[in-house]
Amino acid sequence: MRLVFRNLNILRSTINAISMSLDLKEIVESAGTNLPNLFDFSSFGVLWKEGPLLYLYQDESCPATFTDDVVKNMVRIFSLLGQGPIDVESIHLRVEKRKFRPGQMMMDPRATLKSHLTFPLALEEEIFGCVSLNNDQPNAFDAQDLQFFSVIGYQMAATLKHFQRFSSVKDMATYDTLTNLHNRRYFEERLAVETQKSFYGGTSLSLVMVDIDHFKKVNDTFGHTEGDKVLFETAALLKASVRKKDTVARYGGEEFVLILPEAELEESAVIAERVRRLVEKTFFEVGQERIRLTLSLGISNFPSHRATSKEELMEMADRALYQAKRRGRNQVCIYDPAQG
Amino acid sequence: MSMATLSKGEKEKKPSDVLLDLYSDLLTEIWEVVSALIGESILELLFILAVRKIAEKYRFLTLLKVSDEGISLEGAREDCGKMAPAEVHRGFQNLITHLFDLFSALAGGVISRELFPKVFPRVKEAERVISQK
Repeated sequence: MRLVFRNLNILRSTINAISMSLDLKEIVESAGTNLPNLFDFSSFGVLWKEGPLLYLYQDESCPATFTDDVVKNMVRIFSLLGQGPIDVESIHLRVEKRKFRPGQMMMDPRATLKSHLTFPLALEEEIFGCVSLNNDQPNAFDAQDLQFFSVIGYQMAATLKHFQRFSSVKDMATYDTLTNLHNRRYFEERLAVETQKSFYGGTSLSLVMVDIDHFKKVNDTFGHTEGDKVLFETAALLKASVRKKDTVARYGGEEFVLILPEAELEESAVIAERVRRLVEKTFFEVGQERIRLTLSLGISNFPSHRATSKEELMEMADRALYQAKRRGRNQVCIYDPAQG
Repeated sequence: MSMATLSKGEKEKKPSDVLLDLYSDLLTEIWEVVSALIGESILELLFILAVRKIAEKYRFLTLLKVSDEGISLEGAREDCGKMAPAEVHRGFQNLITHLFDLFSALAGGVISRELFPKVFPRVKEAERVISQK
């Protein structure tokens, strides 16, 4: 009886730790840290269908044969639950090795999966993954293990679902729904962070304002639905042209903005020119026609242009964009203090 | 109900009703045992998946009602009355086999070990009912 109470207390603190987690990795870590106090197992896995991602918490002596068995078994069960086949090759596997067993109880280097408990991660009839406890010994789990593990499974599902909902709310607040780029609100926040980093750290920072030339004509000629398609395609081209650390956002209407951290003026000019050329060479399908479009781009840079605030850096990029428009469009202009 | 013969009252029932009563008891027993192990929500989901899968071949199973309180066969009574008892029996047998497959896939032998001694005699009983009719 005392053992049951002890286990219930461990179960309670495990559930508490899971519910306090803030993201998938943290949830898996909380569970992985606490589960060895409740169960005797060689590996604990969480399969999450988005990705798909598979986190494995394993004893450090787990051989590759065993890991392979666990991966295949979880994928097989997930498919059996009516979720369609998952290609094992497409899974992003994250393996954390931990010392679950005393040194003298190392796993056989040819060990295979002999018993497991797998529990669907599901809420409201939607299955979004599964969790499993795995062992290289046959009949390693009993009915009480299943009862306890199912309680943990329910809590993980609820927490993960909550996290997923929270993420989608966060996405809605930071992404532009038409182009899937970051929205203006996110851009403002990101720019504040990057300017702080640059101004105090003395690193370079470039800002590029981008505007589609004569976009109004597209809307007037082909309608707003076709215009939206052009915005979406342009956004994709912008994203494809920048570096991983850069931020691309929709500023409003047909205006976009790029934040290029640690980019000197020359490098940002190269990136901006690459964007301009890519769009210039692209055919956009609008209605029954294929049309070509061009961009005007304006660049400002810290420290070259001696901006003292993010607002000033924005103002300079905006003026440079105005220069590009005034000089005939389809070009990149760098802010020139002499032009004002 | 006796294991070998049918009582007088049951002899007056339609064979399909006898079968439905028998499988209703059996599925209720499965529900009680397994829900204690894995909880009602996940078990409901597994029942829904199993019914959906087997109903592709045995359409009358779509009339079963699954909720977090269990499974009800009442909606299928009328349709089953027009079917051959052997066909009804095969539909339920396939459903139970598929549920066992799901349980085994999830928990190895843990659920089956608890369930098998209770389920096996009842399936045998259903087979006797079929052979007597």
